[in-house]
Amino acid sequence: MSAVEAYVDHTVQVILYDGRVIVGKLRGYDPRTNLILSDCVEREYSLEGVEMVPLGLYMIKGDNVAIIGEMDEDKDGSIDYTEIKAEPLGEIRL
Amino acid sequence: MLPLTLLNAAQGKPMLVELKNGVTFNGHLVECDNFMNVTLREVYQTSADGERFWKMKEVFIKGNIIKYFRIADAILDSAFEQQEKNRAAAKTRGQSARGGRGGPAQRGARGGPPARGTPSGRGRGTGPPGRARGRGQ
Repeated sequence: MSAVEAYVDHTVQVILYDGRVIVGKLRGYDPRTNLILSDCVEREYSLEGVEMVPLGLYMIKGDNVAIIGEMDEDKDGSIDYTEIKAEPLGEIRL
Repeated sequence: MLPLTLLNAAQGKPMLVELKNGVTFNGHLVECDNFMNVTLREVYQTSADGERFWKMKEVFIKGNIIKYFRIADAILDSAFEQQEKNRAAAKTRGQSARGGRGGPAQRGARGGPPARGTPSGRGRGTGPPGRARGRGQ
């Protein structure tokens, strides 16, 4: 769990069990992987392009977190997301 | 910052709670605990499809069915300030406790009349009357 410490105050991409993709700054976490994300943006993938939905401050409970990944903001900024067409992720069913 | 610190700082403030099944609750946080169980007041519940709404006075939501909390941006800053204040207070409290114990004022007080009514423990004031003082005849 302490591996997440390196991401604090960095931009991360979080994928939830329901398939949502959320990008935000990691402000805190605890041993249950509950996360504080500030300036969150949800990326809604679809076949018409990616829609960015600003969400603000989120506190996500660890039960729903599937993936936390550090973002390379420079690389991410160079991607034209309006050109990217992809099916949204499905939800994870246990 | 710990997520629970943020949640505690959000008490009394408006927030949105989404459950794992997609149902959302909008209201003011009244109370929360370490399980992230929460009570909200003046609540608007929205169905998962977003088509039906209910208004209610107060709800209790069990922490383990919550997916996420959406909190006003400003609360992160106020939580941070509160945390710093608490840390500073804890620090000064620790210093005064360390300085107070075993200080010269307390040493040498042996033999004097026993302190009465002080909550320092050790004293016989609370025992049953008529016992333990003087030699029985």
